[in-house]
Amino acid sequence: MVNDGTFYFDEKLVNMREQQGPLATTSSVVRGLTAFSSVITESLNLTGDKILGIAKFFLGIGIPGDTKNFFDQVDSLACLENNRVSIPLILSLPSTVISLTKKDSLKVKVNTVLGSHAPPLTVTLVRAFSSSARDNSIIENQELKFDPQDAVYFLDDLPASFDVGEYIFVFKMLVQDSEQQTVYATGTLTQVPIYVTGLIKIENAKIAVLDSDLGSVETQKKLDLAGESTVSVSANHLQKLRLSFQMSTPLGNAFKPHQAFLRLRHETKVEHTFVVGSSGKKFEITLDFLGLVEKFFYLSGRYDIQLTVGDAVMENSLLRDIGYVELDLPEPPENASRPPPQPVDPYTRYGPKAEITHIFRAPEKRPPQELSLAFLVLTILPLFGFIIGLLRLGVNLKNFPTSAVPATFAVIFHLGIAAVLLLYVLFWLKLDLFTTLKTLCFLGVFLMVVGHRTLSHLASASAKLKSA
Amino acid sequence: MAKLLLYLTLATSLIPLFSVAFSPENPTDRRVLVLVDDFAIKSSHSLYFGSLTSRGFQLEFKLADDPNIGLQRYGQYLYDALVLFCPSVERFGGSIDVASIVDFVDSGHDLIVAADSNASDLIREVATECGVDFDEDPAAMVIDHINYAVSNFDGDHTLIASDDFIKADVILGSKKIEAPVLFQGIGHSLNPANSLVLKVLSASSSAYSANPKSKLSNPPSLTGSAISLVSVVQARNNARILITGSLSMFSNRHEKSGNEQFLTEISKWVFHERGHLKAVNVRHHKVGESDEPAIYRINDDLEYSVEIYEWSGTSWEPYVSDDVQVQFYMMSPYVLKTLSTDQKGHYSAEFKVPDVYGVFQFKVEYQRLGYTSLSLSKQIPVRPYRHNEYERFLPAAYPYYGSAFSMMAGFFIFTIVHLYSK
Repeated sequence: MVNDGTFYFDEKLVNMREQQGPLATTSSVVRGLTAFSSVITESLNLTGDKILGIAKFFLGIGIPGDTKNFFDQVDSLACLENNRVSIPLILSLPSTVISLTKKDSLKVKVNTVLGSHAPPLTVTLVRAFSSSARDNSIIENQELKFDPQDAVYFLDDLPASFDVGEYIFVFKMLVQDSEQQTVYATGTLTQVPIYVTGLIKIENAKIAVLDSDLGSVETQKKLDLAGESTVSVSANHLQKLRLSFQMSTPLGNAFKPHQAFLRLRHETKVEHTFVVGSSGKKFEITLDFLGLVEKFFYLSGRYDIQLTVGDAVMENSLLRDIGYVELDLPEPPENASRPPPQPVDPYTRYGPKAEITHIFRAPEKRPPQELSLAFLVLTILPLFGFIIGLLRLGVNLKNFPTSAVPATFAVIFHLGIAAVLLLYVLFWLKLDLFTTLKTLCFLGVFLMVVGHRTLSHLASASAKLKSA
Repeated sequence: MAKLLLYLTLATSLIPLFSVAFSPENPTDRRVLVLVDDFAIKSSHSLYFGSLTSRGFQLEFKLADDPNIGLQRYGQYLYDALVLFCPSVERFGGSIDVASIVDFVDSGHDLIVAADSNASDLIREVATECGVDFDEDPAAMVIDHINYAVSNFDGDHTLIASDDFIKADVILGSKKIEAPVLFQGIGHSLNPANSLVLKVLSASSSAYSANPKSKLSNPPSLTGSAISLVSVVQARNNARILITGSLSMFSNRHEKSGNEQFLTEISKWVFHERGHLKAVNVRHHKVGESDEPAIYRINDDLEYSVEIYEWSGTSWEPYVSDDVQVQFYMMSPYVLKTLSTDQKGHYSAEFKVPDVYGVFQFKVEYQRLGYTSLSLSKQIPVRPYRHNEYERFLPAAYPYYGSAFSMMAGFFIFTIVHLYSK
């Protein structure tokens, strides 16, 4: 038997190819039981609690996704609906959350497992107590009235002393017709947790900066927690910050919410959270910055203040940005702990990088072209000077050989010299050394032969002239 | 003897049929092992499992402490992905333990871990190995008194609604999830130093993680939007892990919420049906030529091209984006250029080789939120000018040319004049 009142059978066989879950096992037990009980004449000795437990198991699964499981569930519920042992009756509440502001009333439904009507019953609220004070029951033995139109049992009005909070209601149902009591299984007591919610009043909210030594108030500002306004205060590490407010339930009692946090967030996104303590209706938190300097990692600057107050039974839970405090803390010493690293925004981490283009080396500086051309002209000038000087000196070609053969050789000789000079120009322009040397060989040999003839002719001509 | 031969040939011919699975050419997972606490989960979460099987996955359900389960046999992995829907398991059965799960992920396979409000230490340890830290208090749940799901039955505000999704179309699909996601379970936080883990669904700033049944005296360690409800991890070997603190988020209970769309889309991402890239056909050549040289010269113009495809679940589709960049790198990037695309998956860029010589690399390091990371690198040397690749005739040298040639001309004239003048 499980704690929540359900009861089921499970198989313990191992090494089966397909293991049947508790649903299939329990449904085959139920089918067998109801089939058996419908044929025998005596009644089976089974307590109503066990039948009710099996019914609660089938109803508690929800809607199975598998068709075979779904069939098992519906088939077993149909068997339980009309069986000869005892028919279970299920007590359910359409809503376990009751709102005081909306003035909900407590409604209870009693049906058979497949939802058809139950016989006339008396449903009694045996006890209702707060889950924090289990001994002190607020309601005792209250009978619920029956509304035949909706087929619900309801409690007219919750007593005036019902405040917000978590309660446990204990119900008991009894079939009115005493003969039919053995036919139906109603169980003994049903416990249902109920949440009663309402609007919590928050008032008298103040924020103040106090001087540490004397406790005197330096600045105090009222906070409007219902509106949107923000305040700003400033403090240094010798002062204290105090936030206070009062909370009370609709009935005026003290209320301690589950969540009452004060959060301070620095510009660098480092956060610190504090719990707001309370005594009775008064809620107050005092932040002594002298002791908190190390906890705040010596970070001075603007801290945003955020107050969060919430509870399961509070219909007006709030999260408010109250404003900011300019905090002036001393410089951190060398061995102070660094603030924890903040998470990097993932959207900026993965972006494309900046483009890089290579900056090429600037070419060496060269003299301007005009300068080169000017010097080119200057170097060519001496050649012209030479030619002009020669003409001035009165050169002539009188010594050129007149007879045919020596003249031809002389011409060829000079053409050979011109060819060698042309070869040098071609080598400068595009030839490589090897072709040049090869050609120079041939030209050189040719030029030697021809030159020898010419020069020896010239020499003999001038010797003839001298001797004559 | 003949029969034996027949059996042998039949057996060997069946072996290729077993390899229809995860491979670099076909990266979607196929065989998934689902470990559950009890088989009722198969039924209560049937909508989620149905969405997986309808996309072609073969799910195998086993109990978490079944002594016959194992992830690998004789060195081969039997499954492509693992789903742990067993938050209360104390010890895994068979050959599975935290170390073998970590090895499974390290070899590139995917993992989905769902914890719940009674999560065991073993599941917490698996999550810590993956990089997320669940709240240490075993009874804590995420409570939000402002963004809770209004219902008639859960009055303690532990069923919360959140729509603080990560802005990534590749993880959550291009269609906006209209309804919030309903979550009931434990929250976790991420280490800010971890750069591989992402918060997909965060809690709102009024949320906190505490035991709903007891009062708080100290501020809880997890508050506000630092609480992550669903996180994913994309490991460096491109294995994907999904970690969440609510098993009931996957169940059939929440009909009108955004749970179904959210979980279907994120499962598509986890099982590599989206966001898985491959880069093929890396080529580089001098502008104007088409074959790849073995060495470049400084101040050459070259062109680099690559093709990137994205796996769509069934085939490789061209991947189109405008921020793929190539680096020309030697100890530090000398050139970084964005590649231009022709919208069909072909990316190319042209640039001039820097005038530094050495051994360079073409590097493409592509990392975007939710996509697998591409890391390509191709080495290429760069040489300086040869002796005959410099400028041939310099204007600054004209005077020297002039002097030489004028000398030659003068010599020619002189030979004629000297020999024949009187």
